Amino acid sequence: MGHLGAGAGGGFVREGKVREKNKTWSGGLGILKIMILLFFMIFLILPLVSILLVSFVGEPINLPGSLVDPLIRSATLEKISEFSLVGYQNLWRDSRYLSALMNSLKLATGVSLCVTLLCLPMAYAFARTDMPFKKTFAALATVPLVMPTFISSYAFMLMFGQTGWVNHLWRALSGEGVLFEVQSMLGIILVQVFFFFPYALWPMVAAFRASDSALEEASRNLGAKGGITFLGVTLPLAGPGILSSMLLVFTISFSDFGTPIILAPKNLNLIVVEAYREIAGFFNWTGSAILTVVMVGVAALFFWLQRWVIRGKEYGTISGKPMGSGGMKGKGLNRFLSLYTLLVLLVPLLAVGSIFLSSIATTWGHDALPDGYTLKHYATIFSNSSGNILNSLILAMGALLLSVVIAVFVSWFVVRRGSVSLDWLSSIPLVVPGIALGIALIQTFNTPPLQLTGTALLLVIAYTIRRMPYMIRSTMGTMMAIRRDVEEASVSLGASPFMTMATVVGPLMLPGIIAGGILVFVTVIKETSISILMAPTDWAPMSLAVFQNLLRGEFYTASAMSIVIIVLVILLQNLAGKVTRDQLY
Amino acid sequence: MEFVSIQKLSKSYAGVNALEDVNLEIREGELFALLGPSGCGKTTTMRCIAGFEEPTSGIIRIGGKDIRGIPAHRRNCGMVFQSYALFPHLTVFENVAYPLNLRRFYREGPVTKLGVLAGMISRRWTRTPPKIREKVEETLELVELNHLKDRLPNQLSGGQQQRVALARAIIMEPSLLLMDEPLSNLDKKLRGSMRKLICDLQRKLGITTIFVTHDQEEAMSMADRIAVMKEGRVVQTDTPSRLYSRPATTYVADFVGSSNLFQARVKVEEQSGNRLLSIGSGLDLVSAFTPDGGTAEVLIRPESFSVFPREGELSPPESKNCLEARVIRSTYLGSKVRYEMETKGTFFQVDVVYTDEKTLLGEGDPVWVTLEPEQVVVL
Repeated sequence: MGHLGAGAGGGFVREGKVREKNKTWSGGLGILKIMILLFFMIFLILPLVSILLVSFVGEPINLPGSLVDPLIRSATLEKISEFSLVGYQNLWRDSRYLSALMNSLKLATGVSLCVTLLCLPMAYAFARTDMPFKKTFAALATVPLVMPTFISSYAFMLMFGQTGWVNHLWRALSGEGVLFEVQSMLGIILVQVFFFFPYALWPMVAAFRASDSALEEASRNLGAKGGITFLGVTLPLAGPGILSSMLLVFTISFSDFGTPIILAPKNLNLIVVEAYREIAGFFNWTGSAILTVVMVGVAALFFWLQRWVIRGKEYGTISGKPMGSGGMKGKGLNRFLSLYTLLVLLVPLLAVGSIFLSSIATTWGHDALPDGYTLKHYATIFSNSSGNILNSLILAMGALLLSVVIAVFVSWFVVRRGSVSLDWLSSIPLVVPGIALGIALIQTFNTPPLQLTGTALLLVIAYTIRRMPYMIRSTMGTMMAIRRDVEEASVSLGASPFMTMATVVGPLMLPGIIAGGILVFVTVIKETSISILMAPTDWAPMSLAVFQNLLRGEFYTASAMSIVIIVLVILLQNLAGKVTRDQLY
Repeated sequence: MEFVSIQKLSKSYAGVNALEDVNLEIREGELFALLGPSGCGKTTTMRCIAGFEEPTSGIIRIGGKDIRGIPAHRRNCGMVFQSYALFPHLTVFENVAYPLNLRRFYREGPVTKLGVLAGMISRRWTRTPPKIREKVEETLELVELNHLKDRLPNQLSGGQQQRVALARAIIMEPSLLLMDEPLSNLDKKLRGSMRKLICDLQRKLGITTIFVTHDQEEAMSMADRIAVMKEGRVVQTDTPSRLYSRPATTYVADFVGSSNLFQARVKVEEQSGNRLLSIGSGLDLVSAFTPDGGTAEVLIRPESFSVFPREGELSPPESKNCLEARVIRSTYLGSKVRYEMETKGTFFQVDVVYTDEKTLLGEGDPVWVTLEPEQVVVL
């Protein structure tokens, strides 16, 4: 055997430059990872830090500028030296802010409790009984999710407002007044309950499926009646799953902007609306910054609580054996559950129906039904507002492309390279309410050198960041399904890491990318808070157009535009579902 | 000459040593096997050569060049994976054309590059140049798969997938072909024909090939030379026949075949001065390899015995080692019969080629067994 030469023999020393630990073949992707990290740093972390500083300093500061310009830096440092807690003390003294926070907490608590109660029988029915029309109901339960909440709220006004058709019926039956005042806390709660319940329903169904039906049989065998078994055995077993979905609904309700902006009366201030008014109405940076920080804090707390509750209890995934529906089989009970589910699902359906009727009505309000029918509102929006439709499509496409590129690489780095930092960074948007993200971005990029506020670019970036976690969930799933040795095979055949991504990983991830991309597209079209807060006039998307129509009192065109949004959303969601089902390999 | 040379190769994961001081010399054009049980480090060794693992220390040279720091995709080591790792979205043809398209991509100017890239992502977008087409068809012909070239991998059987993987690896004319457990996912019948195909192709193309296996029969029947590994170290490197007849340790002896292993003491006969190996109570054997003194580990392969019936007036056969034994149990194994026998309180296995039913021995039958001194191997 030849003896060892010192160092590398045979003129190959020039290749010796690359000596990464353990990662000989990751090569040029390093730069890409840094770029993605920079993107999150600049457009997510920097704004959040910036808004946090503003909330303490009490005036706008320019963080991007401070990074490049020494003059701005010294000004910023001076401002930061005046750091104080005055703003937060005022939060407690200022009854307006405090009541806004309290009202929002009350709203979210009320909604999460009501949703849980509403969903309990339905979830049980879906998980454990042979209730009639189960499949139809499951399909109909997606209806609430196709509507942006401000359109749902508008639909509730069409139904339960002074001249709403429900109240016409109500007066025909009993004569007097209205069923309830829709522009109130109760109205907001009802809209959120009937349009957010699917977020809780499916996790709860999973929780009921996971708890063992054999235990229920044991309980009944020991002589417990059906109801006792449910309360004593089934419910406690599904407990953590139910609690977790309750917390999820709490966070969603707390962050929701669309419902309160339409339905909150003047004397009811909620934190999201208050923050929006402070920035959009009065340019009060301090106030909006404090409210933003509080919002993010509360949302983050409940998000963390939700994760904590389900930690280590992956419901629905652990049960190895498939279970028959099991449970109680009483015919009467099934019929009752079926009727109940139908009634719950009817509300969102009627809401969509009301919007549709309004969109083809000449006028509507004198009677329970419209006075006449016409298609001219559609003609109006296609001639006057086609720009908004186009804007929505372009913005959504921009967000889609940006999301796809980032999500694909983030998934790869997280799944293959175990990148904790990217995993963590990309899930932060989950805890930042739309209004909060909007305010933080506006503040941070309001002045040079990165003056992006009021541009379509910042809008697209905001959409992208907001929907990133959902996109990544989709691409990460397909990424995990790609065998590692397929990638290695490509490398061994001579493909650089980039070529491996382009020719093997990319095409294999395509179904996940398409499905995730369509969902990003859909949610951007539905997006309310960011659009209303950040969209420049010449880039107004459909949702902003509907919102402005409503403010101007052009209700019928608003309805027609809403129907366009709903139809688009339904079509695209079905497409996404089909792509996911058709995964080939 | 040595084509691949591995010196003092070590690899540890989080303080646990997967490889320790591995030294290997693999000759040009050789079919070389890394043999050992799972977890012995054979796959890690291969992955270090391919560039998927960075060695903790040590030097790997291919064709005289130190390959440290060269990324995996520039090592020109074709690899056949245990799971075949075919690209599921590409047809058989496209899978095999992949390395050629890659080369074309790297060679061409920017515009053509885009075209090639598009074609690699979906075949609908460009046409394969005739040169590549011919070469792919030629290679598919070698593995007898031309008729299936438009199928997707999931429409192929395991053996067919294996052949595609092989074709894909050899079409790039690698300087070194690596195969990770190439036959372990195939059923027994198929394994035989694949073995032959791999050996024939390897000889025909003369590609230096390293394959990893845990199956000693596979290694013995295919390889020119074998390195037996254990717990991250190479125990012995030799030709199959040498490994079998002169294993370096009891571990190798046991791993590459059935064996009778005994502890023996060297005993010098008083009158003749002959040295004998004494095993247990009064069983002494003459060996061609007896050391000068002390104790020794003795290996006798079950098929090295000759068996003669011991009955009536028959006299014992002439032999330096002739033992009076008794059959304890017999197991019929198709082409051969395995007997467990006993002599003077020592038990051993004897394999005999099966000829016909009359020659079969029954339990309790008395026999003589003889043994040439060359067959009594000292480790």
